[in-house]
Amino acid sequence: MDYDRLLNIAAELGCRLMFSGAEIYRVEESMIRLLRAYHLESPEVFAIPSCIIVSVTTPAGHPITKMRRIPSHGTDIEQLERHNGLCRSLCAETPPLEEVQARLDALEKPAHQFFSWQVLLGYGVAPAFFTPLFGGGVRDALCALIGGLGVGACLLYGRRLIGANTFFRTAVCSAVGSLISLLLVRLGLGRSVDIVTISVLMVLVPGVALTNAMREIMAGDTISGLSRTADAILVAAAIALGSAVGFSISRIL
Amino acid sequence: MSWIFWDYLLPCLCAFLACVGFTLAYNIHGAGKLICGVGGALGWLVYLLAGETVLAAFLAAAVIGTYSELMARVRRCPVTGYLLVALLPLVPGGGIYYAMSYCVAGDIQRFLHTLLHTFGVAAALAVGAMLASSLFRTVYAHWYLHGRKG
Repeated sequence: MDYDRLLNIAAELGCRLMFSGAEIYRVEESMIRLLRAYHLESPEVFAIPSCIIVSVTTPAGHPITKMRRIPSHGTDIEQLERHNGLCRSLCAETPPLEEVQARLDALEKPAHQFFSWQVLLGYGVAPAFFTPLFGGGVRDALCALIGGLGVGACLLYGRRLIGANTFFRTAVCSAVGSLISLLLVRLGLGRSVDIVTISVLMVLVPGVALTNAMREIMAGDTISGLSRTADAILVAAAIALGSAVGFSISRIL
Repeated sequence: MSWIFWDYLLPCLCAFLACVGFTLAYNIHGAGKLICGVGGALGWLVYLLAGETVLAAFLAAAVIGTYSELMARVRRCPVTGYLLVALLPLVPGGGIYYAMSYCVAGDIQRFLHTLLHTFGVAAALAVGAMLASSLFRTVYAHWYLHGRKG
């Protein structure tokens, strides 16, 4: 058996799982199960949100280690489900490594991906339907729809202009969102600035990051949990900063 | 009977649609969309019925956690997606916003009050979801093993 290749495959699978937004324990457990399924005695896997280290000892007593750096990423549940499913079936069937590699390569390109206009629509629809939850009316919902579309466009198409820095990107998007909602309310379309702004900013709020962070702390992965918590607090600070900037600009106008 | 519609059904419908909107951003396809939407509506219903307090957020998160674990077992999929999207309507976005606006206005007392309340709600959500998940897993494993033996 080619253990170097097996290690590469396991590291790639873990990397993809992490990249699609899986929790730490899922990544570690999937890799350990895969390596165990191929009769490796005690595989060691250590994962934090930005890095995976996996180390195995071959039956001949030769240790091999691989490290993968994980770049910053979003959440893609479709890819997560497919890779999770692949890992399950690999552990159950343990096919030859060539077939494993082929099946892994086949999953690299997502089969279902929404068009960017659909994602943009999602960013618009979500805030529009959040307004009633905060006590807004139909006109506020319309404002939130426009504001959400603005924020979504910033997130989806503004990467080249704003850059990939999460803190800065969130601050800019939040400034754009609060500015749009303020202007719309001032033009007389919406009634309550607060409700419209809150609904629009809900798209940016780090709910996902915070829940993930808490779940990881409770699952025992303290380092990952703390780093994700710090991430969530930074994003929240960026939102506050951005909307404060938006307010001051509209006060000047 | 129209108050039932206005007070409970309409907000839940909105929570459902908002969650479905979010599934587009997280690339969730097929039946997963409906599951997330129903989870969000269910969580919001519990939140409304329990009185919109921190405790209500905790209860709603617990219900969402149980529901998502159940759906993950039924569909044999990771629980992550369902849980994250269904919790979104409960996330205290308003708290962050008001805290920011008090901070900008220089009202330190209300800023700290709002900030701490926001942290409380966020922690309640996380603990509620996590507790329900852990409990569900324990009970499920117990039940599953017993089922095999018997």
